[in-house]
Formats: sequence, C-alpha cells, structure tokens
Amino acid sequence: MNLPINRNAPSIMHIDLNSCFATAEQQAYPPLRGRPLVIAAYTTPGGCVVAPSIEAKKWGIKTGMTVRDAKLLYKDVIVRDPDPQLIRDVHLKFHKVLADYSPEVFPKSIDELVIDFEGTHVFKRGLVEIAREIKQKIRQEVGEWISCNIGIATNRFLAKLAAGLHKPDGLDTISHKNLREVYAGRTLTDLNGINTRYQARLNTYGVFTPLDFLEASLDILKKQVFASINGYYWYLRLRGWEIDAIDFNRKSFGQSYALKEQTDDPRQLIRLLMKLCEKMGRRLRGNNYRAYGIHLALVYTDMTYWHMGRTLQIPLYTTSDLYKKAVWILNQQPVWKKVRDLSVSCFHLEETQPEQLDLFESEMAKNKKVTTAVDEINNKYGEFVITPALMMDMDKEIIDRIAFGQVKELEDLYARR
Amino acid sequence: MRSFYDRNTNRELPQEVIWQGRTYKINQVAYHWPVRRGRKLLHIFSVVTDNNTSFKLVYDTETLYWILEEVIDEFAN
Repeated sequence: MNLPINRNAPSIMHIDLNSCFATAEQQAYPPLRGRPLVIAAYTTPGGCVVAPSIEAKKWGIKTGMTVRDAKLLYKDVIVRDPDPQLIRDVHLKFHKVLADYSPEVFPKSIDELVIDFEGTHVFKRGLVEIAREIKQKIRQEVGEWISCNIGIATNRFLAKLAAGLHKPDGLDTISHKNLREVYAGRTLTDLNGINTRYQARLNTYGVFTPLDFLEASLDILKKQVFASINGYYWYLRLRGWEIDAIDFNRKSFGQSYALKEQTDDPRQLIRLLMKLCEKMGRRLRGNNYRAYGIHLALVYTDMTYWHMGRTLQIPLYTTSDLYKKAVWILNQQPVWKKVRDLSVSCFHLEETQPEQLDLFESEMAKNKKVTTAVDEINNKYGEFVITPALMMDMDKEIIDRIAFGQVKELEDLYARR
Repeated sequence: MRSFYDRNTNRELPQEVIWQGRTYKINQVAYHWPVRRGRKLLHIFSVVTDNNTSFKLVYDTETLYWILEEVIDEFAN
C-alpha cells in the first residue's frame, strides 16, 4: 500500500502553555517576573525541578535536574513549591478560552490542549488568524504573563511537532507543503513517541532521520521495525493522517509517592501506603467504581524495582479493603530494601451502580455504609477531616500534586467545575 | 485589610493591606482563584501593591475573614 501525504486543510490545533507551572507563579506574583525561577517537587537540594521558567531555561536549567544542580548553574535561582490549585485554575481558564471555538477540545495534559476545528463555523476564517486571537485571549482572560506555543496540522502528532518548532510563544503550521522541510531539520527523537530505544531499532533498519522514516515502506515498518500494528500507525501518523483521536476508557486508579525520607521500615511504609490507599479509594468511590485487582510497585534506592499485581474474586471498595490487600502484596517482596518510590493502583474496575441489594445485610454492606458516611463528611468539611488512625500526623506527607499527563483527572476537574 | 464590595457586580475586592504597621495600597489583582475546602469556599487573591510587593490573600466566605498567607517581594529567593 502506498498512501500519499495528507493534503487536506489542517484542522487540528495543539496549544501548549510555555513553562506552565513557572509562568503561572510569575503571573500570580509579579515580583517573580523576568527572574530565573524553578518549581521543584521539594525545595531541598535533592528536590527535583518540575518546571523551570523561561528565564531559568536560558541558564541551562532543565526539568528533571535537582535543585542543587539548578543552583550550580545559577546560584540565585528562585525555588518554589508547586501550587496545584493555582495550576488547576489556570488550566480551567485556558480550557474555557478554547471551548468558545469548538466543542471538540481535548486535554492532553495540565498544560496542553488539542482542538479539532473540522466542521466548526470558525474554520473558514483560517486557523492562523484564530491562533493569533487565541494567544491574545489567553493573555486577556488567563493572565498577561501567560504565553503559549501553537501548532497547526492535519493530525495531532504533527500539530504537537509544529507547536515545538519555535519556543517560546511560537505559531507554526505543518502541511503537505512544508512537511519534508520540517522533517529535514529534526532528529528521530524530536518526534513525539520516538525514544532512544525506538531510535536504535529504527537505525538497525537503516532509518536514521525523520525523512528516512517517512520514506520507509509500510511493510518494513509493520513487519520488521515495529513488528506490530504500531508500524502501520506510524506510517499514517508521519503522513499527517489522524490515528491518535482515541478516547480511552478509565482502566485503573493509582497513586504514587517519591519518599522524602527513603526508608525500609515497614511501619513507615505501611503508613504511607494507608494514605495512598485513602486517596486512591476516595477517587475510586467518587467515580462510582469498585476494583477487582490491585498492584503495588516499589523503586528502591539502588534503582532496582519490584512490583506485583493480584486479581481478586471479591471487590475492593473501602480504603480498608484496598489497604489490607496492598500490605499483603508489600509483605511478599523478596528483599526489604530502602524504598524511594512507592506506587499503588487498582484495576479491573466495575461500576457500582446499579447495585444488587442484599436480602440480609452483610458485613461488606455495613463497611460500605460506614465508608460512604466518612466520604460524605470529608466532602463537606474538607479532605482528611476523618482519617484512619494510621494516618495521624501525616498532613505534610503525600500532599496534593498535579499528575503529569493524567487526562482522566482533568476530565474529573471539568465535571467538578 | 480593607476591601470594597461592589453591589452591582456582587464582587468583593481587596483595596489595602495593613501589615506590620504599614499600609500597602493594592494596585492590581494579578490573579484570583477560588478553592473549595469541603463545602467551604475560599477566594485566593494574589495582589500587587504600590511598591511591587505581592501578597497572597485568602478570603474565607464562611467567616468573612481575610488571611495573609504569603508575602513576596523583589528579594524573594
């Protein structure tokens, strides 16, 4: 099969807020504007930089560095904690601006949205003009310090690539006219979804540049390089055909935590696990699900990891159910080593409504009623007003964070608005 | 804290902050975001004063109290 490059008029726009966490802080606190600033998971020297400001990036500071390294590059860099409530509000305002243009607005992450203009009345005005207007509106309605990159193309993959061409505050279009030219100036790992492992695999088959990738035949991609349907998807994606407009249903709920003080003490670990299970359980129940599976993953300080998942016959619903099974799995780890990252998730979800009523009230039904009552109290008076005793004095542990790329959380956020 | 309630727009906006014996006139609300803690609604205002100092002010709609949560000036680090 030889499929040509998509020659339709570009109708997909990818919008990406520049250094979102840092510019939101600079918007809120003007004395921070124009100064190198980083938002870090922890402000201590070992804390990880989550987002550097545009000014900090000029000093070579990058996401993923430690605060210590950021200070080596620029000793007076301002270090601040993330403010999840501020960022969520920025996202909601950002979403509201875009929702005026098309009903098809899809969150990709807390700072990225995709709009499909196909069939909308504004499409005829031209997307470049609309993009300029959106930039202006974001400055007016979200904040004058907030800027964004906009990419326009025929599919989501190329629109994201276009949004990254000129940072910050860029506006680029990729169409059949300049597709080859854009690919010529990029490396394989510049393509979203191609990491160094895929690059190595592509190299083995003589594909060294995005242009080689574009020229590769469907047979080579499908049967040799990717050895799966992914080869066909890449063949379409690279030519500007849409393959990523898929809405995935929710498959699991999970929580993870990078330990401030790394430990192998079971008493500490189970307390953290209890809080993770309480947060996960609140989300599970809030979305009217119960789970038939639980998974635990541990990353140790020596960078080795261990994980285990279990499918169960009896559904997990209360925090206590989740916690008991998570501890059961924790106790099966072959060696107790110092833990640096702790993650728990539940899967095999089933909706709780409608529910078969018991003829005789079981112990499970009683526990469910207690949990519902506790959840209602926490909904009314605030998170963690009533908690299990194991969570006492844990207010400063596992605090509210923005999950990267968690699109489902953003949909929950729109529903709560 | 001095604030101004506009009955036409039904909005209450901070006007002046009196902090450590000094009055700071608020020039601009740089950002405002509402936050729910349970059923309680809080309005958070980040404001800029005439000497380029930022205050993070929290307005509790239940008690009608203002809380000064943070002060950021040009010496922030």
